Amino acid sequence: MRQVVAFGGGGFSQESGNPLLDDYVLGLTGTASPRVCFLPTASGDADHYVVRFYNAFRDRARASHVSLFRRERGVPDIRSHLLAQDLIYVGGGSLISLLGVWRAHGIDSMLREAYEAGVILCGLSAGSLCWFTEAVSGYHGEVNRVPALGFLPHSNAVHYCDGDRRGAFHRHLQDGMPAGYAAEDGAALRFVGDELVEVVASRPAARAYKLERRGSQILETRLATRYLGAEATVDVVRGCAPGTTRLSIVRQAAA
Amino acid sequence: MVTASRRILALGGHDFDRRVGNDAICDLIVELADSPRPKICLLPTASGDPEDQIARFRRAFSERDCAPQVISLFRLGENPVDLREELLNQDVIYAGGGSMLNLIAIWKAHGLEMILRECWNEGVLIVGQSAGAMCWFQGGITSSSGEPAVASGFGLLPGSACVHYLTEPVRRRRFLRAVASGEVEPGLGLEDQTGALFEGTELTETISARDGAAVWEVTPEHAGAREAELHSRRLEDSRPPIHDMRSDVLELRQTLATRASRRRAGRRRPGRLE
Repeated sequence: MRQVVAFGGGGFSQESGNPLLDDYVLGLTGTASPRVCFLPTASGDADHYVVRFYNAFRDRARASHVSLFRRERGVPDIRSHLLAQDLIYVGGGSLISLLGVWRAHGIDSMLREAYEAGVILCGLSAGSLCWFTEAVSGYHGEVNRVPALGFLPHSNAVHYCDGDRRGAFHRHLQDGMPAGYAAEDGAALRFVGDELVEVVASRPAARAYKLERRGSQILETRLATRYLGAEATVDVVRGCAPGTTRLSIVRQAAA
Repeated sequence: MVTASRRILALGGHDFDRRVGNDAICDLIVELADSPRPKICLLPTASGDPEDQIARFRRAFSERDCAPQVISLFRLGENPVDLREELLNQDVIYAGGGSMLNLIAIWKAHGLEMILRECWNEGVLIVGQSAGAMCWFQGGITSSSGEPAVASGFGLLPGSACVHYLTEPVRRRRFLRAVASGEVEPGLGLEDQTGALFEGTELTETISARDGAAVWEVTPEHAGAREAELHSRRLEDSRPPIHDMRSDVLELRQTLATRASRRRAGRRRPGRLE
């Protein structure tokens, strides 16, 4: 079963003291002692980030990481190592640098192989955007369309809380970008195969959206979200109910 | 119109600390910049923009009355800049060491290869150490994938280069084999704290800032490769070097690693490789 869990933001990287999203992905592995490999490439393999990963996961998983900046000190056979995992967890940072480095080391095809073999892929920020066919990336100032790995045939935006990203996502859809999903910090999209099967959240108010173009209009649908915390039973959306559709006219499409 | 001089200083191994020879090389860079309060920009891409390297760089060049700046491609989100404008505005661009494979992949992904070529043509002095030195040649020997392997560079400079020469015998042997077989063009073996200065595509001078450290010219000969020591200008540190605890420990580790790999492979001094 091919699975991706794409965080709009959150997990140990951004929500210290709130392990809900990390617990959720560990739970999906269905094993008490999952093998989890962290790929910190998008941060330039920042030491402090690797340390935080081990602090968060060493008691709950057989944790490892792969550094592509210091390969001479790491696992000799990255492909076998990745294929042997239950979960591959990709950190945040620069999407463009991440894709460049992965392609240079052939990690993209190794990940494809792991994905096909049933290893669960997850990540936040750049580690979410990378799995989709196109990413709406705001990391380098301007919010641009970046072609990514395309394991999922949708577009994606993360940290979907600011107006810049929303405006850019809508604009790119008008320009022909494939339909896709956006997630706020604390919300995560779980895909099985190409299909979105669930949206979960580590914060009661965190939301995710489906975005598509309908004629000259952009349809942004707020998705039903399951809060992973204790008081999980009631959906506490303020303002609009889950599944509510917002229809926004950005501009007329060219005739 | 005067054509700007295109210069690259390729260093076999250098850091911004005060271990032997590193001070002298920083002084040389400032001298070559030949500008009052030169603007010098570090690109620490090849090692993933680590904070400690950035801090050492800033300290070393601040105390030399330069205007140090750092462009971190991994943190552009926090600090967006116009890469072309910033880089063309520098007197010196210093490419740090690390993974040559990653450096080339990331610079290409960000469109930096063309910008840096433009900077070189416009007379910005390009300095690089280790991966940041080899990338300017046609090829080099990288350990980016673990075992030392041949890698293509940007090709601004003719020939090839191999850094950390003698301190990393496995890398050196791979270089000798590559030159002998024609996998890479003949080139330079650069020891730590040595450098080669190119004007245009001509090697104009080699320098050494440490006792016994040399630059080797490596050419194919019969079925093997020949190493000839080049005469280098000797640079002296202007103040006593400092060996802090940490660098001692690092050196010890390096020595032990070197010994171990020499033991494994059988020691060979420069000369001919059969």
